[in-house]
Amino acid sequence: MSMTRAELQDAAAKAFDGDLTPDAAHSWNLIADMGWLMMAVPEDQGGLGLGRAAVGVIHQALGRTLVAGPAIAQMLVIEALSAAGGQDELLGRAMAGEVMTASLADGLSAVPDADRASHVLQVEAGIISLLPVGDLAFTARTTWDGTRRLFDVDAGDAAGIVLATGDAATALASRLSALRSVALAADCLGGADAALAMTIDYLETRRQFDRPLALFQALKHRVADMKTALVAAEALFWARASDTAADAVTMGAMKAHAAGVYRLIAEEAIQLHGGIGLTMEHPCHLFLKRATLNAVLGGDGDHWEEARGRQAMTA
Amino acid sequence: MSEALDSLRQEVRDWLAIHAPKDWRGQSTSEAAFLELQRSWFASLAKAGYAVPHWPENWPGGGRSLAQQKVIYEEFARADTPRLLLSFMSTYHAASTLFEWGSEEQQQRYIPRILEGEIWCQGFSEPGAGSDLAALRTRAERKGDVYVVNGQKLWSTMGQFADQCLLLVRTSSEGVKQAGLTYLLLDLKAPGVTARPIHQIHGDEEFAEIFLDNVEIPVADRLGEEGQGWAVAQSTLSSERGLTLLELSARMRGALWRIGDLIRANGRGEDAGVLRDFGRLASKVDATCAVADQFLANRIAGEERVGDASIVKLAYSRTLREFTSLGLRIGGLEAQYHAPITFGGGMETGNWMADFMNSYAWTIAGGSDEVQRNIIAERLLGMPREPKNWVVKEGAA
Ligand SMILES: Cc1cc2nc3c(=O)[nH]c(=O)nc-3n(C[C@H](O)[C@H](O)[C@H](O)COP(=O)(O)OP(=O)(O)OC[C@H]3O[C@@H](n4cnc5c(N)ncnc54)[C@H](O)[C@@H]3O)c2cc1C
Repeated sequence: MSMTRAELQDAAAKAFDGDLTPDAAHSWNLIADMGWLMMAVPEDQGGLGLGRAAVGVIHQALGRTLVAGPAIAQMLVIEALSAAGGQDELLGRAMAGEVMTASLADGLSAVPDADRASHVLQVEAGIISLLPVGDLAFTARTTWDGTRRLFDVDAGDAAGIVLATGDAATALASRLSALRSVALAADCLGGADAALAMTIDYLETRRQFDRPLALFQALKHRVADMKTALVAAEALFWARASDTAADAVTMGAMKAHAAGVYRLIAEEAIQLHGGIGLTMEHPCHLFLKRATLNAVLGGDGDHWEEARGRQAMTA
Repeated sequence: MSEALDSLRQEVRDWLAIHAPKDWRGQSTSEAAFLELQRSWFASLAKAGYAVPHWPENWPGGGRSLAQQKVIYEEFARADTPRLLLSFMSTYHAASTLFEWGSEEQQQRYIPRILEGEIWCQGFSEPGAGSDLAALRTRAERKGDVYVVNGQKLWSTMGQFADQCLLLVRTSSEGVKQAGLTYLLLDLKAPGVTARPIHQIHGDEEFAEIFLDNVEIPVADRLGEEGQGWAVAQSTLSSERGLTLLELSARMRGALWRIGDLIRANGRGEDAGVLRDFGRLASKVDATCAVADQFLANRIAGEERVGDASIVKLAYSRTLREFTSLGLRIGGLEAQYHAPITFGGGMETGNWMADFMNSYAWTIAGGSDEVQRNIIAERLLGMPREPKNWVVKEGAA
């Protein structure tokens, strides 16, 4: 990597400087301007060739400040265009920020920002194609998580630009699944880190019984458990992100692990904040909502844990 | 992975194919067999130069890089060799404390004997001093060129088999409790020493109680200065972290097949609920390995922070508990029938009830989970320390 992980982390932290839920349109321009959409694309295709670890850094930053927008879906489209080859024109447009989106679940459900996109990626058994939106119908599906705008897309019999078929499509589908898991896991770990830091801050400031809440050992121990779970999940994340041989199941299980940690921390954050944590004015709920949504996007824990269990049975 | 490491891996593999004890699990069901196996296995490792890869390079068998040590441990775990329990305290605790605090003369006297198989134990804990180690009361009074020691030590792992003991004693009651401690090297054959074994709840890995009645220890066998015992003890306590946990988590990953086999044997191979629990455990084990790995890399790079080791230990101890309780659960009634334990078999022997009980050793010893949580919250995350003042309720003892 020409840019170290630490440098990239620094740049990402500066761009999204800690204010939660920054303006969506502004964030999107920033993401495109910083070249983040071209991070993982090989240099000979006009990208930066920084690989999955860089994708991890970016999505951690986006998760930490709960940035809105279709960045994960866009990366999937970019990966597909890059893998297909010969799509330099579309690839260039996507890397420059023209919204092209993809499902974060199965079929054409849970497609972020489909109404603003020029194209939607369709992954089917044996064929992967890019559909121009003109031919599609979509229904907005409002989620509890207000930082995401999801749509169900109806492709009818629209035919798009075919990117891969047969074995190539199968291989690409599994790459896309792994990438989606990496991005979602990174989003989880960024959010978990922010929610934990916010909770520790609160415990140190809030006073009850003439002392800061942070003095109560029962609460300190819960914080220590959250920290331990987070550090271990982060270590697993970086080990997997730099493992080019990791398959879709290994990555999916890693994502399920990260999502579990995010959920734990988001739940504990509310409990340890008390009443204020249960209000709309306080950001606790934003983390909980994104955590529970992340947990089901890209395959839920039940799915990946069972798959990982089967894998371990034959190891 | 570099070529040099690959060739080391091959070399270790070839050596293990010839020298690794075979079928030792079935045989190691008595204490005598355990001791015999531990001694002969250590001797062949020492001869081949694999017993102490973590030692400095000026000692035989030492001077391996971290990456090389990892390779060696991974191969040992893969070959399911017996863990070196009997000599664990000698090669880790005793050796690293001697390297850091021992005089040239002390090192020359004790280190070679460790390679010859001398066994050390650790005499820190006492009936009144567990988590609060600095409250220990075993007294040492200086008389000329000896210390006269009186008191009682508890939970000394392998104490009943040991030749030597790392002994933490009180030489002064002035000032803060840490300041009055001194670190001595005790010959367990000295007059006045009695070691009595205590059985752990599952029977394996016994520890001992050591009584000290007017025991004379030469001043020449003191590590550091009088009153410096607390500082010396820190290097003993930190010696086992890191590599041990790297090895143990690698061994836990290497033992996942035992649960897989158990699931199959009990006809649960298509039970999605069981597979999920197994998959979730596998990810946790992976995360534990990754965090142990990361910890060691940071430590080598000089970037270790206070509390990092506690995270690794807590992650390991909780995951081990989950590992053994999943085995216990799937093992069902069969796991409740008593089976002879495998002495020195490690943490995952497949004797599920015994393994489950043994997992408590990791949540209590070496600083309990609760103590690790205190360290993480207070030292790593900077949350406020426990207040020092407290009141006992009227009528309570
Ligand atoms: C298998 C095994 C091997 C051992 N080997 C050795 C050895 O070789 N040499 C040696 O010297 N010692 C050894 N020990 C002793 C070990 O270090 C102590 O058992 C341990 O430090 C706990 O002390 P304790 O047993 O007195 O429990 P206590 O300190 O009395 O603790 C009882 C309970 O209170 C909790 N607790 C205590 N203080 C706090 C606190 N501040 N905040 C919150 N909770 C707290 C503990 O976590 C625990 O749950 C061994 C122990 C075991 C189990």
